[in-house]
Amino acid sequence: MSARQGKAARLTLGLVLLLALLAAVGLFSLTTGARAITAETVWQALIAFDPTSTEHRIVWDLRLPRTIVGLLVGSALGLAGAVLQGATRNPLADPSILGVNAGAALAVVLGVAFLGMSQLSTYVWLAFIGAGAAMLVVYSVASLGREGATPVKLALAGAAITAVLQSVINAILLTSPRTLDEVRFWQVGSLAGRSIDVVLQVAPFLATGTVLALATARLLDGLSMGDDVARALGQRIRLSRGLAGLSAVILAGAGTAAAGPIAFVGLTIPHVARAITGPGYRWILPYSMVMAPILLLGADVIGRVIAPPGEVQVGIVTAFVGAPFFIALVRRRKLAAL
Amino acid sequence: MFRSAILAATLLTGTAMPAFAWTFTGGDGQVVTLDEIPARIIASQDAAAGLIPLGIRPVAIYADSAVADAKALQGLDLTGIEIIGQTWGEVDIEKAAALNPDLIVAEYWPLETTWSGGDNVVTALSPLAPITGPEQGASILTLIEDYEELAVSLGADLQQPEIAADKTAFEKSLEAFKAAIAAKPGLNALAVWAGPDALYVAAVEGASELMDFANWGLDIIDPEVADDRGYWETLSWEVADKYQPDLILVDNRSDATMAAAEAQPTWTLMKAAEAGQVTDWPAFWLRNYAAYANELAKLTAAIDAADPDLVP
Repeated sequence: MSARQGKAARLTLGLVLLLALLAAVGLFSLTTGARAITAETVWQALIAFDPTSTEHRIVWDLRLPRTIVGLLVGSALGLAGAVLQGATRNPLADPSILGVNAGAALAVVLGVAFLGMSQLSTYVWLAFIGAGAAMLVVYSVASLGREGATPVKLALAGAAITAVLQSVINAILLTSPRTLDEVRFWQVGSLAGRSIDVVLQVAPFLATGTVLALATARLLDGLSMGDDVARALGQRIRLSRGLAGLSAVILAGAGTAAAGPIAFVGLTIPHVARAITGPGYRWILPYSMVMAPILLLGADVIGRVIAPPGEVQVGIVTAFVGAPFFIALVRRRKLAAL
Repeated sequence: MFRSAILAATLLTGTAMPAFAWTFTGGDGQVVTLDEIPARIIASQDAAAGLIPLGIRPVAIYADSAVADAKALQGLDLTGIEIIGQTWGEVDIEKAAALNPDLIVAEYWPLETTWSGGDNVVTALSPLAPITGPEQGASILTLIEDYEELAVSLGADLQQPEIAADKTAFEKSLEAFKAAIAAKPGLNALAVWAGPDALYVAAVEGASELMDFANWGLDIIDPEVADDRGYWETLSWEVADKYQPDLILVDNRSDATMAAAEAQPTWTLMKAAEAGQVTDWPAFWLRNYAAYANELAKLTAAIDAADPDLVP
């Protein structure tokens, strides 16, 4: 067996182990919550649902949907983060840093405040439009000047645009308590209170975004060598970036529509994935896709049990976990080497 | 000797109690005195909701949010009244100054030791005119009575047929409410705000109207643990049945709250919700007899219809 094949075998095994870990976290998510329900009862609920049993209803109506939403949103955020980091060659790229989350959030808030929308099915479309528009603006602003959209300029433009969007969101929420009531839970990012309708609503988008993102792996590997090398290899850079960006917007938009803006998952996970797999995007992408829901669901389970009888929203838990990591990342010098 | 004593007495009373035309002791304990009865009043949204039905029309209102969303102001005629603020903590100081106000009327919040709208608004408005108003305390009824006292001092005539009719309607509603409670011994209630992420159970001490209801005999379940400010206990929807009341009162500041509750699969784990023994809770916005009478009538109807032995 060559060294290359050996590495591939090792990485495949790693991926299988991570999938097993993900399954374990998923089970944990089904068996853990504010109400004590034994694993046996959960199992009974899954194989022989009894609608008269409170425990069974909680497993089916609350825990199962939120677990599925967590799996889908987590993998979407991990994948979107990895694709964005590759496409922009920016180690700090994350849907939340490039304005995608804030754009999605603003669109939803505008829709609720001025168009009277209150259905999650409309949130999805609003979130897409907002996410896409925000990313376009960020990219255009970053492209100004001589060097074009460099990683640093993208991060700066993203931070600036996010700040602007966030202040508009705050202004609307402050003046409209009705809107605040409707989006308050959604604003922090939470998996609670999502029904299976939400899953059905966003699943087609997540599937499309996932296929598109995985298909860009080769393009991302080209881009990671620098624009000049990629161009010399015959790659059409703008097209590659466009496809990757599109997949990230679809993934982040749908994820944000379903669970609200969740930061740091898309930022943190690709770095951990890269540390394990090395620089190839054909491995980074699937690893990010499997590891991110482990983090998101794990954080959600923690949020469910640390403040009984209430819960801490998953967006807050991931921020607690992700923020120190982000700071460590910024302080490391090796960053520029991506 | 006698004459100089009279002169001294006159001078003394003259200094101690000058002939001010208007004086009022605010909820903060401060006495405000003015040479004339103030006519041009800037009111906070809640103060406006207290004063307008008593015949005192402010020249301007500053609201905590969009006036259209302010439950307290619903149904009141606001024509000709300038709106100088629609965000909590903000007021258009130029507009306010141009109106040349004689008095600012707000509500004093003893726990926060400030007036409606917060310190920023007070700092902006108090150079224009003195600020006063009733204390936000343990009872909406007392608050309305304080508004009556203030309105009378400002020249209101509470004997006006419409104003008197509001009060009579309230008194009738209150009697019916008490009678309904007396007819249902053992009935208890739970006041909640429902969000898609959690169910929030209200502490009685945190809401003046709940304290009124409790005083009038309604048995309201107090949550075991209220949050740091003493207003709510947060329940995961998984344990929405932690309390089992006979009647659920849902915060009606926004229609979204009832919708959020009904959308939750575990809402009906509460037997009262399953049986439809659910009604409105006028949370934190009642300021006049007419609105109070309406809300009490809704509550009374719900109590009349409720089975008090729903929960053993």
